[in-house]
Amino acid sequence: MVAKCQVISLCRSLLRAGCKYPDYNIREYTKRRTLDGFRMNKNLTDPSKVNDAYAEGKEQLEVVERVLKVYLAYPPKTKNIMELKV
Amino acid sequence: MASLSTTSLSFKASSIKSTRISQVLRKPSSFQSISFGRFQSSKSLRLQISCAAKPETVQKVSDIVKEQLALSADTALTAESKFSALGADSLDTVEIVMALEEKFNISVEEADAQNITTIQEAADLIEDLVQKKPAA
Repeated sequence: MVAKCQVISLCRSLLRAGCKYPDYNIREYTKRRTLDGFRMNKNLTDPSKVNDAYAEGKEQLEVVERVLKVYLAYPPKTKNIMELKV
Repeated sequence: MASLSTTSLSFKASSIKSTRISQVLRKPSSFQSISFGRFQSSKSLRLQISCAAKPETVQKVSDIVKEQLALSADTALTAESKFSALGADSLDTVEIVMALEEKFNISVEEADAQNITTIQEAADLIEDLVQKKPAA
């Protein structure tokens, strides 16, 4: 069974990887999706389900990091309007 | 001199943060302390022990915490309030730490992030990190 600190550490890694995207939309989506995903599975008690969820999270982390490299190669030229302070 | 001796007693009682006091001694103090150097007793009324974090930092941290936990604007947040007491679970704590990283433009280590339980600790850690890195 995966320990709580591992889960928290996975959550942090996902959030921190997501923060690096230059694109506002993807950044916000990653943040929102990881928090929603972790909250949804917050109350799981069955060890096999917990391990499944953890494995899925790890896969997603790899995806995020891989896609990040691609996006960093072509950063957007202008800032998204949501990022501009009113 | 009598007042100094009473403050020295209060420092001894709070030995948990003794490491912080030694950090405070080394850092250039931003408060107008009495020139004795050892005691920040001029501010001992405000915070319990360590004056290692500025009040503005504590205030900013409190604002972020209130926003993340969706607390009403008039809930009294002291520097010693624990996140768990305010209804935050570990995921909320992770979110709060991320929001603080973003706001202050710092990067908190894993181990440090696990140990943050109160607003004061968060503010102290932030001050530490902001000092260490030359803030752009």
